[in-house]
Amino acid sequence: MSQSYDRGLVEDFGRWREFSAGMWAWVFHKFTGWVLVGYLFTHIAVLSTAISAAGQTQAIAAENDVYTTVIVALESLLVVRILEVGLLAVAVFHILNGCRLLLVDLGVGLESQDKSFYASLILTGGIVVASVPTFLAGVF
Amino acid sequence: MAERYSSFEKGGRRWLWQRITAAFLVVVLAFHFFLLHFVNHADEVSFLASSARMTDLTYYSLMVLFLTTATFHGVNGVYNALENQGLTGTKKRVVKYTLIAASLVLVVQGIRTANAWAGLPTF
Repeated sequence: MSQSYDRGLVEDFGRWREFSAGMWAWVFHKFTGWVLVGYLFTHIAVLSTAISAAGQTQAIAAENDVYTTVIVALESLLVVRILEVGLLAVAVFHILNGCRLLLVDLGVGLESQDKSFYASLILTGGIVVASVPTFLAGVF
Repeated sequence: MAERYSSFEKGGRRWLWQRITAAFLVVVLAFHFFLLHFVNHADEVSFLASSARMTDLTYYSLMVLFLTTATFHGVNGVYNALENQGLTGTKKRVVKYTLIAASLVLVVQGIRTANAWAGLPTF
């Protein structure tokens, strides 16, 4: 028989000091989800410069079309590279915690769901730190 | 018997699609990040390089499917979050149709962008 735990509402964020690991996982998953969906709209908006560039054969060949120029200009900014590292952190956590949620939904590892949350956090930290050199390459 | 405490609609299938798209996105999002940051580097982006990838029909269809599933997963996630916050009635309907409209704009704009790289009509 399933057992329910009454820990109160996670939406009541004012009592965050009382949150358990699973509640933090819920909060982080929502937060990273909001960031990713916001980024998706921004990403498509920036990439849409390719529509204006299409057909400008000479500019494309010379790599000074509007799409290439915009992306190269953005990538030359240190703040954009740092934001990209932040995006990686958000995406990796959402992916790893998403895997954890899929397993929990299937009833796998339910008893150690708090440990798998900590593992998601540690693994996210490790992957992000290891990726910093790649993400900052060429900016200095 | 355990009480029903889910905030999902009874008989609804959105929760299932949220998980099906999640399983797909876990793999494709990781692939997308890996290909565009580790195999190809951010400071080497050009229209020519993006175009070379997008003219491959397999890559083009994968990216269109990626865009569609990511839009559904993201926007449905936003709707679920607002539902959990207690959104009901007219406000809920307004939010629902606004999110559907925003999703359609995003998918159409994304396909136009992919077509621009693939040399297809951008309509």
